[in-house]
Amino acid sequence: MDAFVELSAELTGFSAEELRSTGLVEQYRGLAGNASHAEIIELWYTGVWRGVIPSPRAYAEGLAWKAVGVAAPGTGAPGFGSWERRPRRSAL
Amino acid sequence: MKAVVVGAGFAGSLIAKVLGDNGFRVLVLEAGAQPDHDEALLRFQTALVKTPLAPYRTTTAAPSSDYLINTGPFDYASPYLRINGGTGTAWTGITPRMHPEDFRTADLGHGRNWPISYDELEPFYRAAEWEIGVAADADEQRQHLPVADGYSYPMHALPRTYLDHVIASVVDGATIDGQELLITGTPQARNGIPVRGYRPDGQLCAGYASCVPICPEQAKYTPHRTQKRWSHNVELRTRCVVNRVHADEFGRVTKVSYQRYEDDTTGTHTRHEEEADVVVLAAHAIENAKLLLMSGLANSSDQVGRNLMDHPALLTWALMPEPIGPFRGPGSTTAIDAFRSGPQRCTRAPFRIEIGNWGWGWSAGSPGSDTAEFVAAGLRGNALRQAVANRVGRQFTLQFEIEQEADPTNRVTLGPGRDALGNPRPSVHYGLSTYVKDGLLDAKRVSDRIFELLRAEDHTSYKPDDERYFEHNGEPLRYWGAGHGGGTHVMGVSPRDSVVDQWQRCWDHPNLYAVGCGSMPSLGTSNPSLTMAALALRTAGHLVSRRVMSAGSELAESAGSRPPP
Ligand SMILES: Cc1cc2nc3c(=O)[nH]c(=O)nc-3n(C[C@H](O)[C@H](O)[C@H](O)COP(=O)(O)OP(=O)(O)OC[C@H]3O[C@@H](n4cnc5c(N)ncnc54)[C@H](O)[C@@H]3O)c2cc1C
Ligand code: SF4
Repeated sequence: MDAFVELSAELTGFSAEELRSTGLVEQYRGLAGNASHAEIIELWYTGVWRGVIPSPRAYAEGLAWKAVGVAAPGTGAPGFGSWERRPRRSAL
Repeated sequence: MKAVVVGAGFAGSLIAKVLGDNGFRVLVLEAGAQPDHDEALLRFQTALVKTPLAPYRTTTAAPSSDYLINTGPFDYASPYLRINGGTGTAWTGITPRMHPEDFRTADLGHGRNWPISYDELEPFYRAAEWEIGVAADADEQRQHLPVADGYSYPMHALPRTYLDHVIASVVDGATIDGQELLITGTPQARNGIPVRGYRPDGQLCAGYASCVPICPEQAKYTPHRTQKRWSHNVELRTRCVVNRVHADEFGRVTKVSYQRYEDDTTGTHTRHEEEADVVVLAAHAIENAKLLLMSGLANSSDQVGRNLMDHPALLTWALMPEPIGPFRGPGSTTAIDAFRSGPQRCTRAPFRIEIGNWGWGWSAGSPGSDTAEFVAAGLRGNALRQAVANRVGRQFTLQFEIEQEADPTNRVTLGPGRDALGNPRPSVHYGLSTYVKDGLLDAKRVSDRIFELLRAEDHTSYKPDDERYFEHNGEPLRYWGAGHGGGTHVMGVSPRDSVVDQWQRCWDHPNLYAVGCGSMPSLGTSNPSLTMAALALRTAGHLVSRRVMSAGSELAESAGSRPPP
């Protein structure tokens, strides 16, 4: 088992699979392999690494948005009128 | 007939179109560069703070509002953008009409009256709504505004957000201070379902939730749409900063000077001149005033640059009892209009209340700020995930657009510093009157009542170290800049105390026009661009009919309050 993914999963509350599906594990391991827990969480949740968003994907895959069950603004089109529906209960 | 239009933003693009369609030769000189949609989208995604200007490449030669100098007791906090398309590229796209009362604010005790009434502007509102593409329901708007019989907006009202429905189910019919509350759809310049006879330009709004500053789908109106419809009579030159308008001894404008640059990163430029039969300044309220001041024109009234107004916006934010799904779809699809008009506005500034659908994004930096807070409190793993879901999923914001009255001491002047082209930077002296502060305070009180009705958990807080914090009657307050600058070349009935007449023609110069929100004597409580667009179309029609009337000679005569052609 990959130690960085395992630690990330434990810190973020998202499964290893969910983390891998972002396509960001390798990039984040490179950046935050030795970072503090708080920094690792910030990176996964908001896509921000020490004051910089390293890639558009880091922004789009921010876990804070996924926790709420919405796409990061400007990255996903749920469709005309979709905003009128009752929100999905988050997958917890 | 040759027209030079200064600025290819919201107002300039509209006027250039009508003039070009009607046989004018039109040259549009635009200070900024051409934006690239894909590049802007990328910049947006990687911008740490997603401010309205963040996606857009700006140039050293033509800086945007960040080069403005504040000298007054309060900061003027509204941005504007100098690229092709102007601020109309970054705007939100909310397009309510002004209330009929707003055209006679002086009679109601504050600010200035318009030289025209709502009824005179109404046909041009309709024309602007069709040109821009506005989605709204006429019957719904008639609940608080007169809309012509038989009229339909070009597109049906956009669906409301789930949040709107929940709020309406509680608030509709309740009263605050004797005002009955009603959640009403807000007209939107983004594509919905068209009515018969209208073909929308661009895609249907797909709910990307980033309309300001950039709609990935291009479902929101921007001036680029109007530019695509320009006839061959219209020529656009970007990277051309106009720095002087010249007039002869009789006041007739003869030509403009401009500085052309190629390199976006330096002030290196070449100088040029262009002769014109008529010049239309459409460079944005602040830049129009700056250009008139730099040219020493149109200022016999001493009102150029004065009366700078905006909507000092009050944000309040809270949690609904249940998840409502914020950050889905447009930023705001409804509003409460009950506090826009009526006798109370004689004592405090009136306001319009937008129901804000993007959580606490603008007010408190969510969801990054929530995450940081929970992490600092030691939450990890599932507890963190759940806390973020539970907090952010219930967030909403109320945005109060507070009227600010025309006040000659709020003004744009030429600042001491120079930009890279050697032109003066605009300097702004800005303040909030007691009337405005009373409006902000009352808005906060109304917000408290609405949150009570909704059983919402209020998280609003204004702290002394926040930007634009102040106290009024001992209460903490704060305001945000809405981006609605106006008043700086104010329209009136007399050359003694106004800069332009009802056609936005400078009283002092028969063939010089200054268009945009700068002409507006009051902003009321509506986002101003639709009204500005209606005025622009009215001015364009006036120019066309004057040309038809006398094939040019008329424009050479001295200006005055002529009856409409
Ligand atoms: C964040 C934000 C959100 C907004 N949302 C809304 C909304 O929802 N509803 C609403 O009604 N309004 C909104 N507005 C306001 C709206 O954007 C403005 O009212 C509108 O763009 C003003 O139009 P304009 O043509 O006067 O200026 P602009 O659109 O700014 O165009 C001016 C043009 O002139 C050019 N220019 C400037 N100086 C020169 C020069 N010296 N030489 C040549 N060209 C020059 C500029 O580069 C620009 O292209 C918003 C504004 C902001 C900042
Ligand atoms: S909600 Fe999305 S698609 Fe609709 S206008 Fe806004 S950004 Fe564009």
